[in-house]
Amino acid sequence: MTKLLITEITRMGPAFCVIGLQREKDKIQSVRPVTATANSWLHFPYQRGDVLQCDLAPFSGAKPHIEDRVSTSGFEKESTVPEPEVVTYLRKAETAESLPELFGCALHENKSGSGLFAKPPEAKRSVCGTVTQNLRLEFCANELRATLALSSGEVLRDLPVVDRDWRDFIEAALAIRRGANRLARLERFLNSQFHYKVLSCPHHFIRLGLTRPYHELCWLMLDTLIPLPKQDWLEEF
Amino acid sequence: MAPIKDESHWRPLVEECFRREAGTQASIPNLAQDLIETGVLDSMGWVSFLRALESASGINDLGALLTNRAPSLESIFQVFNEAQAENSSIQAASNARHAVTGASAILVSSCAAVGSRKIPSEEIDQAFGMPPGKLRLRAGIESLAYATEEENELTLGARAAQQTLHAAACGAQELDWIIATSETHRNYPSLSARLHSQLLARETCGALDVGGACLGLLNGLAVAQGLIASGQARTIAVITSDVHSRIFQPGRVAGEFGGLFGDGATAFLLRAKNGSTPQQAYALGEFFFGCAGQYAGAIRVSDASNGNLDVHFDGESLSRAAITRMEKVILDVELRSGIARSSVQGLATHQPNPRLVTLLAKQLDLVPDKFPSVARTFGNLGSSTCGVALDAILQSAQRSQPAQRDPIFLASLGPGLVFGGGWLVPIKT
Repeated sequence: MTKLLITEITRMGPAFCVIGLQREKDKIQSVRPVTATANSWLHFPYQRGDVLQCDLAPFSGAKPHIEDRVSTSGFEKESTVPEPEVVTYLRKAETAESLPELFGCALHENKSGSGLFAKPPEAKRSVCGTVTQNLRLEFCANELRATLALSSGEVLRDLPVVDRDWRDFIEAALAIRRGANRLARLERFLNSQFHYKVLSCPHHFIRLGLTRPYHELCWLMLDTLIPLPKQDWLEEF
Repeated sequence: MAPIKDESHWRPLVEECFRREAGTQASIPNLAQDLIETGVLDSMGWVSFLRALESASGINDLGALLTNRAPSLESIFQVFNEAQAENSSIQAASNARHAVTGASAILVSSCAAVGSRKIPSEEIDQAFGMPPGKLRLRAGIESLAYATEEENELTLGARAAQQTLHAAACGAQELDWIIATSETHRNYPSLSARLHSQLLARETCGALDVGGACLGLLNGLAVAQGLIASGQARTIAVITSDVHSRIFQPGRVAGEFGGLFGDGATAFLLRAKNGSTPQQAYALGEFFFGCAGQYAGAIRVSDASNGNLDVHFDGESLSRAAITRMEKVILDVELRSGIARSSVQGLATHQPNPRLVTLLAKQLDLVPDKFPSVARTFGNLGSSTCGVALDAILQSAQRSQPAQRDPIFLASLGPGLVFGGGWLVPIKT
């Protein structure tokens, strides 16, 4: 049995991609449980911070998704770790401070539009944690995007936000029952309180990921943004 | 906002950007076709296509304008049409306002951030080998704001800018320009570029550094006003940031000069005036500038070959020049604006040292309280002195009823002797 601290739950179309931390001797590393037939889970009723027991087949996925492990049984929840402690563990797993260190390879700018990508044979991994000097979320034609500055000062623009909880929060903020001017109110929140709530959080941390190869390119995404949103923030705007 | 071209210009532009994203052989979809639902583009491709269009068309907020619309070419053309119509009306309104008032830029929020270490002036006397009490007695400086090890021009400037944006609920992506000024930041990337990255402004937001030393804020405000008045920009952050304590150190410069300076930053958010003007906003009046070369020798700072700073500082003649010129500038502001200096909310001026501010108030027959106390507690903050004073007046005005707010005078000068003045008028809605 493997103990997995769940750190990432991301949206992948109608399904969820899950990543957790596994301790192996003195090392803490990211592991992505997948099913035998798919890379994602249609149903995943757990939260970030949950410690799950599971059986994982001991082989790695294809580069750069070397964290993939096939789950051979169901999950069983053992305990829950508070958010600051999750970040403590994330800081001990894969981290980087600059762009080339993130995935151990050069990252390329999309010359025809926006976004950054890695070439699958070059990337050494598909997930990495980092701290940011600054971060903002915005809507671009109904799509939630993040722009952030690494501690090295390098700026990453237009990263798709796939963090399940943040996406749920945004959807809840835009729910019809919340009345008029929902989008304007949300944008105001993202432009003001969001900044304080997230960046002033002492355990603020993010994890970036690479998509599965698409036309032979893996695109950067914002997998996890900690702190996770709180439901009561919805009352503030 | 860049000029909007007619449909015949941007239709090929849309098609070119689409083909860049979807492939050169891709056929152009039907106008109403949902590009994501029908699998023509995925969500990343859609955003990438829009960013390319933003860059090519100059409509920097195309993505934001398309929120809540279907991802189709039809939506894009609709937004182009609306932007074109809005641009025409804004231009017309701007021209009309400019003709009548001479100003279409408004100041909507501000913030100051000084160095976190407060040092009694006696400690500075000692560090520079001067008799204890010299700074307090001769210059009127009681303490100085010094940056901590973690603070620098970037961190102080960014802190002030973020709080200013926050106060106006303005996202950094709304900025069209970041105009920075500093008399101490001499590295590259320049301060405005570093602030641009730190604030996460749009790639198409301009980053401009203006000089002028202690006159830098007024230079920046005037440039911003011009950009807004010409229709080139709608939202601009003007940021000052100066960290003297790392440059004017004991051993490099004399205490009578180096001991006067502290560290600080300020930020001001300017917007094009439109229908929904915030209650606390001030309209920018006119700015005027000049250079009194006769005082050029009073202060000169240059790099010496041994790595030190070569400072020529004739304190007495500089003080005389400063008082004379500031008085003249303030009288000119009064004349040009038609606003009596006794009726203003306050005067945001350069403050070489507190003694000179007291003297200036006396010369102008004004109560010293009209000049916020900046140099007395923080020291001379270079380009940020005027900014901290202006922020203090604006913060104080915010606490009063809108009807009770009065105009603000601005006046400053820098080595050269460059000088400038201007005024702000509260918008009473």
